[in-house]
Amino acid sequence: MKATLSFLGQRAIILHRPGDTTDRLVRQCVLLGFRAEARWEPVHVAERMDIVLVDADEGWDGLLPWAPAERPVPLVALLASEAPGRIAWALDQGADALIAKPVAASAVYPALVMATRRRAETRELNERILRLEERVRLRPLVHAAVQRFMAAYECSEDEAYGRLRREAMQSRLTLEQAAASILASSRRQAG
Amino acid sequence: MAALRLGVLFSTSGDYGALGRDCRDGAMTAIEDLRGACSVAIEPFFGDPAASSELYIELARKMLQEHGCRHVIGTVTSQARKDVIPVIEKHDAQLWYVCPYEGFEANPNVIYTGACPNQHLLPLFDHMLPTYGRRVYLTGANYIWGWEMNRLAREIVVEAGGEIVGERCLPIGDADVGRIVAEVAERRPSFILSNMLGPSNHAFLRAMRHLGRRDPAFRPERCPVVSCDLTECELPEIGLGLADGQLAAASYFDSLDTPANRALKAQVAARFGPERRVSSYFATSYVTARLCVEAVARCGTDDPVQVRGALAEMETPSPLGPLSVDPATNHAKLPFLLGEISGADFVVLQSRPAVAADPYLIRRKTAARPPSAQPQLRIVS
Repeated sequence: MKATLSFLGQRAIILHRPGDTTDRLVRQCVLLGFRAEARWEPVHVAERMDIVLVDADEGWDGLLPWAPAERPVPLVALLASEAPGRIAWALDQGADALIAKPVAASAVYPALVMATRRRAETRELNERILRLEERVRLRPLVHAAVQRFMAAYECSEDEAYGRLRREAMQSRLTLEQAAASILASSRRQAG
Repeated sequence: MAALRLGVLFSTSGDYGALGRDCRDGAMTAIEDLRGACSVAIEPFFGDPAASSELYIELARKMLQEHGCRHVIGTVTSQARKDVIPVIEKHDAQLWYVCPYEGFEANPNVIYTGACPNQHLLPLFDHMLPTYGRRVYLTGANYIWGWEMNRLAREIVVEAGGEIVGERCLPIGDADVGRIVAEVAERRPSFILSNMLGPSNHAFLRAMRHLGRRDPAFRPERCPVVSCDLTECELPEIGLGLADGQLAAASYFDSLDTPANRALKAQVAARFGPERRVSSYFATSYVTARLCVEAVARCGTDDPVQVRGALAEMETPSPLGPLSVDPATNHAKLPFLLGEISGADFVVLQSRPAVAADPYLIRRKTAARPPSAQPQLRIVS
């Protein structure tokens, strides 16, 4: 069970021409605990912000200061249009959720919660992918270390792998790090 | 100004009819009171949607389109309120909602005078957990009220280091409580939170009385059933005396001894007979209808935007205490009372002064914070 979120004290930036839409969004954001600012000019990367809502009907590429994959905060697209080009723009910016315009008061909280959770999940997944890529990259080292153990202890591949795992656990290293250190030390010995 | 056309839309027949009848009677009493005593003439339009979503929507549409109402006091369940809101929004009208509900809503076109969880469930559990223990059984009606109240209760109990020993919901109108009672008997909770409605709740409370007779561990003084929506209006349907000792949270009880409440009770006795008890549904609806009419009278128009503006400035003495509506949330400031059933009445065991509503629970001390967007720096050795 996920706990009820409170956004108290967080900062929301609403990028949209001022009017009824921004009035409604600011009202709902403030009720949710945000300090909300509505404006129609680009965000600077150094600004303090916790979530950004952006008009996807009229938004342009310079409005958001980061590459979509590197956006540091959840992003919510505001969209009245059904034009494929505007939907594509929202997707290209990496929108985590969507609020249809005209804005229904009841649409705001669900979208902000969804965007916040989605963004956290995406960030976790990206970190996991980085770790896995690192492991894949180092896989040949594991293979080489197993080969070295098989030769040194005259054992089967399974036994050699088990030995490597035990050493890794004892030294509190990942399998890849243990393999690298074994190869390095045997290289030193050889040299 | 022309007469105020006021829609009064409560389900007075069907499964939760007793609640709707009290809401309707409260609004009607206020309208009768104000007739001739106020600068605005009132032309009420009553509708009974009989607990049907389609009828709620149809009757709301009729009130707004055909009768020219811009203010509707009404809906009992949250389901009905959520059904009616789009119609209200479409006509830029104002809904006045008087029942306790599960929070997480603050629509600009709705004024909420019923309590939300920081005004009922949170203070209730502040009292229940240290007093009775932290093993809690949850029951509810199988719709948004039951689901959300149980979800929140679970969150509070788990945070307090307690345990939910069971949870079951019944469809509204289903009185087949045997399985729930058997589970309660087996799991032996410290207390039970009931978010059931109408016949399910009545059957459950009667069954708990039987269980308490067989096993004293389930008598109300040791393992009470508590709720946030049970009031005087349902006690005769349960059977007077059968639920004695069980508890309920509300922002009003008939037994309050204040001048404003004595005045309301005298009117109710004159109109409905001396046996009639005033529930929080009745009292809140009464106060809300008065508030609506007074705000319209102040503005000289029923334009919802102007009425909301006037409302922001008002604080009215009422049987619930001084009543004001927070213009930021459109919710009323409300007191918390804990009552124990005794015959046809609730004896007030505890009370807390009125607090502002926090519909999204942003100020709850233990509410979860979203992950910070700022980079998290770690010291790497």
